[in-house]
Formats: sequence, C-alpha cells, structure tokens
Amino acid sequence: MSNPIDKLGVIDGLEITETDYRTRGYHYCLGATAGNILLVVQVFDDYGFYLEDLTCVDREERLELVYFFFHYEERRRFKVALALDPAKPSCPSISDVYRNAYFLEREVCEFFGVFFTGHRNLTYLFLHDAIDYYPLRRDYPLRKDRVAVPEAEKARLNSFAVTEADDAFFVNMGPQHPSTHGVLRVIIKMDGEYILEAEPVLGYLHRMHEKMGENRTYQQFLPNTGRMDYLGAISFNLGYVTAVEKLMGIAPPPRAEYIRIITTELNRISSHLLWVGAYLADLGALTPFLFVFDDREQILDILEAVTGSRLTYCYFRFGGLPEDVDETFTEKTKRFVDRMRSERFSLYENLITGNPIFISRTKNVGVVTRESARKHGVTGPVLRSSGLPFDIRKVEPYSLYEGLSFDIPVGQGGGALDMYRIRIREMEMSLRIIEQAIAALPAGPVMAEKVPKKIKPPAGDVYHTVESPRGELGVYIVSDETERPYRMHWRVPSYFNLMTFPESARGILLADAVAVLGSLDLVIPEIDR
Amino acid sequence: MELTALVEIFGRELLGVIVGLIGVLAFVVLNALFLTWLERKVAGHMQRRIGPKEVGPFGLIQPLADTLKLLGKELLTPHDVARPLYYLAPTLIFVPVLVSFIVIPFDRHLQVKDINAGILVVLAFSSLSVLSILLAGWGSNNKYALIGAIRSVAQNIAYEIPLLLSLLPIIMMTNSFSLKAIVEAQAGLWFLALQPVAFLLFFIAAVAETNRTPFDLPEAESELVAGFHTEYTGMRFALFFLAEYTNIVIVCAIATCFFLGGYQGPLLPGWMWFLAKTYLLVFVIIWFRWTFPRVRFDQLLNFAWKIMIPVAFVNIIVTGGLLKL
Amino acid sequence: MTSPVQFAIDAISLMKGLWVTLKSMFRPVVTCQYPRQTLTMTGRFRGHTKLATDPESPWKNKCFVCGICEKSCPSGSIKEVAGEKREGDKKKTATGYILDFTTCSQCGLCVEACPVGALEFSRDYNPAGFRREDFHYDLVREFEKRRPPG
Repeated sequence: MSNPIDKLGVIDGLEITETDYRTRGYHYCLGATAGNILLVVQVFDDYGFYLEDLTCVDREERLELVYFFFHYEERRRFKVALALDPAKPSCPSISDVYRNAYFLEREVCEFFGVFFTGHRNLTYLFLHDAIDYYPLRRDYPLRKDRVAVPEAEKARLNSFAVTEADDAFFVNMGPQHPSTHGVLRVIIKMDGEYILEAEPVLGYLHRMHEKMGENRTYQQFLPNTGRMDYLGAISFNLGYVTAVEKLMGIAPPPRAEYIRIITTELNRISSHLLWVGAYLADLGALTPFLFVFDDREQILDILEAVTGSRLTYCYFRFGGLPEDVDETFTEKTKRFVDRMRSERFSLYENLITGNPIFISRTKNVGVVTRESARKHGVTGPVLRSSGLPFDIRKVEPYSLYEGLSFDIPVGQGGGALDMYRIRIREMEMSLRIIEQAIAALPAGPVMAEKVPKKIKPPAGDVYHTVESPRGELGVYIVSDETERPYRMHWRVPSYFNLMTFPESARGILLADAVAVLGSLDLVIPEIDR
Repeated sequence: MELTALVEIFGRELLGVIVGLIGVLAFVVLNALFLTWLERKVAGHMQRRIGPKEVGPFGLIQPLADTLKLLGKELLTPHDVARPLYYLAPTLIFVPVLVSFIVIPFDRHLQVKDINAGILVVLAFSSLSVLSILLAGWGSNNKYALIGAIRSVAQNIAYEIPLLLSLLPIIMMTNSFSLKAIVEAQAGLWFLALQPVAFLLFFIAAVAETNRTPFDLPEAESELVAGFHTEYTGMRFALFFLAEYTNIVIVCAIATCFFLGGYQGPLLPGWMWFLAKTYLLVFVIIWFRWTFPRVRFDQLLNFAWKIMIPVAFVNIIVTGGLLKL
Repeated sequence: MTSPVQFAIDAISLMKGLWVTLKSMFRPVVTCQYPRQTLTMTGRFRGHTKLATDPESPWKNKCFVCGICEKSCPSGSIKEVAGEKREGDKKKTATGYILDFTTCSQCGLCVEACPVGALEFSRDYNPAGFRREDFHYDLVREFEKRRPPG
C-alpha cells in the first residue's frame, strides 16, 4: 500500500538499489540529483513518509547529502543520497515540504557549507561566527588546505536578528532560565502575555560528539554516548552498540540481551520519573519533584551496583556486557517493581493525575496533530499523544523486544495531559517488560565469543534506531574499514520534538509555553550533541 | 504652650502607639524568621527530608544565619533602572504591612489601637502593597519583573473584591467594623459555623492576595524567573520576602478574628489561642504551596470574576435576608 | 462554567492531594544526612584508577609497561607511562604513570584494556584540591606508599 517504489521508478535519473536490510538498516538506496530531489521528496510526502533524518557525509571528492525516510505504520526505510560538488555545494531546500528540514538544513549548512536554495532562513543554528571552518568537513582540522567559511557566507549565516515591532516586545527565554531545563534559548516575540512568535536558538552546549566520533576508535566513543542524553544514557549506549553489532554481524548471547533490556527499561522509568517531577516543577508544584527522586534513587542504586555509575552509564560493549549481574540485582529489581505498583503509582494518581489544577493547565495544551507530527518527524510520547501507536520497539524490534508482550499507550490528541498519561502508562509497561525479562533471564555467558579486539567493521553504512525515552534515536555510522568511524551521525528525538515548538507556541500564553516546552521532555545536551 | 497641651492630650496615646509599633516591628521580624523556618521545615517533611537542621536545635537559628548572609550581600543596582522607584519599592512595601498590625487584637487588651473602622484600615493599606510591587516591576527595567508586576496588579484588584465581599456578611451580622467587636461577638459560636462559604471565599482570596501557590503568578518561578523582585539582591530582596510572610500572617490573623473567634478560647490565655489559630491557618497556606501546581493567569482571573464574586454576592443577599427575618 | 458536581469532584481530588502531602509529613525521611552519614559504596564504584597489588608478591604491582591503557584512553588522560627492566625480573617494572584526573571520566576502558589486570578502581570518592596539578596522580608513587615494605 505505502510502497512508493513504482512512483519513484518513473523519476528521471533516479538510481534505485535494493539493500540488505539486516546489515544496513534501510531497504532501498536512491541516488538522487539536485535536479530531481524535490520530485523524490514529494513522492515520499504523498505516501505519508516522514523525514527521519537529513545529514551529510564528506566523501572528500564529493559531499553526499543523505536523507532518510521512514513510515509511521510500516517498516520501510529509504535512504536518498545526493552527491554535491564540494567546491560549490548547492541543492534545493525541501523545507517547504518537510518542516523539520528547516532546522536540519540549517545544521548541514553551518557544519558542511552546503547552500540550500529556497530556504527562508539559512542562518546559524548551533554555531556562531567565530568558527572559521566547516567543522564536519573531513579536512578540518587536520589539513592545511581546509576550506574557510567565506566572509559573505558568514555574514549570511549571521544575519538572524530580531527586529522590534510596534506593540510587541522580545523576551529571551534562556539560556539561563529555570524552565528551559539546561541551556536552551528561545527568542519569544510577545504581545502582553501572548506569544506571537518563538524561535529556538541552540548550541549553547554543543560538544561536537559527531566529530569526536571520527577521531576516536569505536570503543573509545562508548563513554560519549551516555553524555548526549544524560537521562536515558543506557538507551544511547544500546543504540550505539547495536548499530555497530548490526554492521559487523555480531549477535550477543541471550543473557546479555535480557540484561540489556532490563537495564534499558529501568533507565526509561528513571527518565520518565524525572520528567514527571520536572514538569510538575514547571507548573509550580515542587513536592512531586522530590517524590520522584525518591523512586529514581532506587533505580540509580540498582544500576550503580551493576554499572558503577549513577548517571552517564557506559555498560554495554560490542558483543555483550563487560560484567554479569548477580542475584541481588534481580532481587532489588523485583522489589522495585513491587514498590512502584503497590504504593507509588497510586500516590502519583492522588497527588497529580486527579488534580484539577494540573488538568486545567495541561488539557489541550500543546496539541501535536498527526500531520504536524509527520511534517516534523516527531516521535516518542509526543507523537503517541496524537493517537499513533508508533514505537520502535514494536515497529522495528531490536534486541529481544519482539518476544516480549507489552502495549503502546496512546492518547487522543489531548496534548500535554495525554503525554503525561502516556509516560505514566509507559512506566507501567516497562515494569511489565522488566518482569518478563527477569523471568526469562537464562544462564550463560554475557559476551559473544568471536568479538575481535580491534573493532573494524566492514566498509559501508548502517542506520539503526532504538526507542529512547524521548522517542526514536537513530544512529548513522559510515565505516571505511578502519578502527575509527568515517562519519557518525545521531538522530536525537528531542531535537525533532523541539521543532514543533515554534508552531505550537504561536498565539498561546507565556505560562502555556512553559507547559508546552516541558511536555516535550527536552534534554538539551542531546539536541546540542 | 500649645505644644505641651498637645503632648498632654495626645502624649499617652502617642506613646502607646509608638511602643505598640516597636512591639509590632519586633513581632513582624521574629514572625518572618519563624515562618521561613516553618515553611522550610514543613516543606522538608512533606517531601520526606529533614529541612534545616544544622544551625541551632532543629535548625531554628537557620533564618537568622540567612539574614546575616543577606545583610552581607552586595546591593546590586542594575544599569538603567529607574532609581527612585527601584530604591523606594522595598521600603514602601513594608509600611502598609506595619500599619495593618495596629488594629489586630492579639488579646482582649493586647491591641495597639482599636479603631472603629479597623477592617477597612487593614484592607485599605494592604491594597497599597500592590503599588510597591508595581514600582519594583517598573523600576527594575526587566521584562520578567514588569510582567510579574502587571500580573500582580490584575490579580490583586481581582481578589480584593471577593476578599471584602466575603467579610461583609459578618460585618452585617455584628454591625461593626471594629475587629475587637467582631471577636467579642463570637464568644458563643464562631462565625465559621455560621458563614462557612464566606470563610472559604475569604481564605481562597487571601491566598491569592498574598501571592501564594496555587496563585503565585507574580513570582512564578518557572515562567518569570522571580517575577517583580528578579533584580533585587541582599536586604532589598529580604524586605520583599519579609513583607510576603508578614502579609500571610495578617490575612490569617484577620481570618482568625472574623471566623475563628480570635482570642476566644478556654483555659489558655487569649493571645495563645490567637497565635495558635493564626499559625494553623498559616500552616494550611504553606501546605497548599507544597501540594498544588500553579493556575494559569486567565484561569485565576476567571475564577475570581466568574465564580468567587457571584458566590460572594449570593452569600451577602442570603445573609441579609436571614438577618431581616 | 463548571457544574456543581464537577466542582465537588475537583474539591475532593484537591483534598486527596493534600492528604498525600500531610501523610508523608509524618513518615520517616528518606534522605541520607551526608556528611553526618555516608552510604555503603557498591563493589563496582569507580574512583580514579590505581595500580593493583599483585596477589603473588604483595610489594609489587603487575604493570609491565605495555602502554595499551595509554592508547585506549579516549581523553588522553594517561601520560608518561615509563618503566625499566630490573635484574631478575622477566618483565619491565613501571617507574612512572601519570593519570590526569582533570580530564579522566572514569569510563574504565583502561581497566578493561589491561591485559594483566594491573589497574583497578580506587574507592576514593571525594578528592579535592586547589590546583590542577593536585589531580595529576602519579600512580606508581601512590602504589609505593600503599605497599607493604620489602
């Protein structure tokens, strides 16, 4: 039904190659050109695909734009590659078709120097004008003949400025502000208490993890993963190791897989718990924040005993786990499951869920419609609040999730209140998954046997996704058969969820903007990876 | 000649007021210190932690240590503030607070001055504190502060009406504005039993008047950083803080006088009953803060204009009708 | 406007919330009063790395200066690993090993990479200092302080 391959076949000059989904993570690779990219994208849009990712790979002799399209209802992923001349890279913008391209193209532009014609605001998003070179080009910083950012280009990139209007005034929300949860900055144009426009400005925490990946061996990059999303560190661990395992064809032993699932789900619960606390603090209730920390602390204790750290975990290795878990781990986890079910959920129900003030603050606030979600590539609880049961654990199962039974909680388009309910239900589902995984936990080794000491994946690329607490996490790795990745790219869910904010903030109250921003569950270090 | 005559006539009275004011000032400061301690301790235990515990027994000296710290802080004056307004606001917020205490009867004979328009004095002066909030917000030259101040004005105007309307039935029943006369009228039965709706209205309006959760919009931390006192540091900030806590005590004291029989009570001396009842209400306000989220601005105003004021009017009409019968 | 029934339901749920906080006021606290109390540390706690004692000869460590840890470190925190061949020994003995703790993130890749298990995590959880150099740990010196004489 939603296979656009026939429609794509008639486009002139489009090369279509079928690829091995098991090792590549995508079904088809399309070789597009600047001339036909708009036609290709239009076909994907007609068939209900969403723009999963847009990035670029510097292949030295050419710059290769890479688009990934995925579907919310079916497992069918397309990679569209578009080669550009590195001396004068220019390509039509697709930001009119997919609204998330508005941000993604700005990112590619400042990091690679690709010019997108027809983009309405091709200015700095993460970087600033003190950066003289295109940081993600391969020639930076190693080669002497690297390409500097031309002054004209810099001026254009720097042209973003706010202009005072008659009755409106501007408020800089962030980078230091209590409810932006880190260093997000949103420039808000306001008329009284009403927001006319909101424009996120990112990059205050940018550490260039993608470039770091190119300069480190596969193992050395492992600790970095937990530093991107510090609340769902284990999900990022999992995304990275499973991506490399997919590329290399390593299968971890079942015991390792189940322990991975248990720890990932524990981490998911702790992340959702923190969100509940922080969100209620945004709305002015401070006590739930401490209550969730009580619960979260139990999880941290369990995970600390296993991984040795409390926040930025780095527990998974290629092929399994560095160390096994013991009896106390399963005992403590079971006790935690009982505790949550017997007393904590009812406590949150009484304190938060039923509270009429909470309901009136969140109901129908920050509603993300299905169409808007698709245009922005929204995933996770934010997408599920619109009623679409899209969860990578079901759509594209990884690890051993396929054999576990759990539901995907969805909302009815009720905005922030639905997102809250979904996250609470997801915690219950995670408890169910943990229970099943503990029951099924087999004995045996936790490390696959034939894992080479030096990780040198075969040449090629892989796109791998996992469900992080915030949504779909995508890892794109290009290998050139050396110890270091040739290019590494991360599709981080918060980034895409944030993109809906300018749209949903238009015309609402400042107080609601805080409620909307909070409901998206943003982790800024993840966006500013 | 005339002066000595004046002193003779007013001397005792004036002296009484001055002594009373000093007493009130001492009470205000001690009370604010105690309340910050109480707030933190209650918050701590509600969140299953201890709260202040290091300085003094049960951390009782903690507020004093904090005051010393605040005294030691530099008084920053940001660029481009409207200086006279900026400096005036913290001082001005304190005056109405002090004046209100003059008419509050702590005991049968422990009252600075019994004015026969007592409650009107309190309400009139407490409205003045809005002015200083507005001065602070405007003078700070900060957008967050200004939004906070504007919210505060709208909120206080909206909630002053139900505040007064909810007290009217009692004034109708006692035929007096004097707080002491109202307390005396409750020797047998507290007005809480006769006017529960009025009490509820008054208490909700009082929480809103004092800018406390769930109606703490002027200083909504997650939206406006700190609202109207964003740009204030050191003791200037502490004065706002002090005024806030004193305001809480004032509204609770009035509620005690009007609904809980003031200093009336068996066995214990009157002032103890008075303080016990007042602090019970203060505790409830603190309890609210650590339980509820904040309402939105439009919801807050809707609640005042569309629910509280009509209900208060109905209450007045019903009371008037019953009194005529 | 809200109906009276809805109003009553709302009021009851507000009461429920108040009941929750009131109840928890009288329940025991869950926090640990650090530094008056401390928690027991887990076995896998990661402090800075240190040279492990050789179980066979307690005055020696197992490091033979292969330099694998130095290469494995993602942040380049391990520096100046040096050693010498002493008489009677088959392998080299470490004479220098600087761990720059200011850039170390305790990821443990060096501990895992060590072919003989010469590195382990210390249980030192609260290092403090006034200068950067205070955190340039010389692991050999630290080991020598710790080992039994002989």
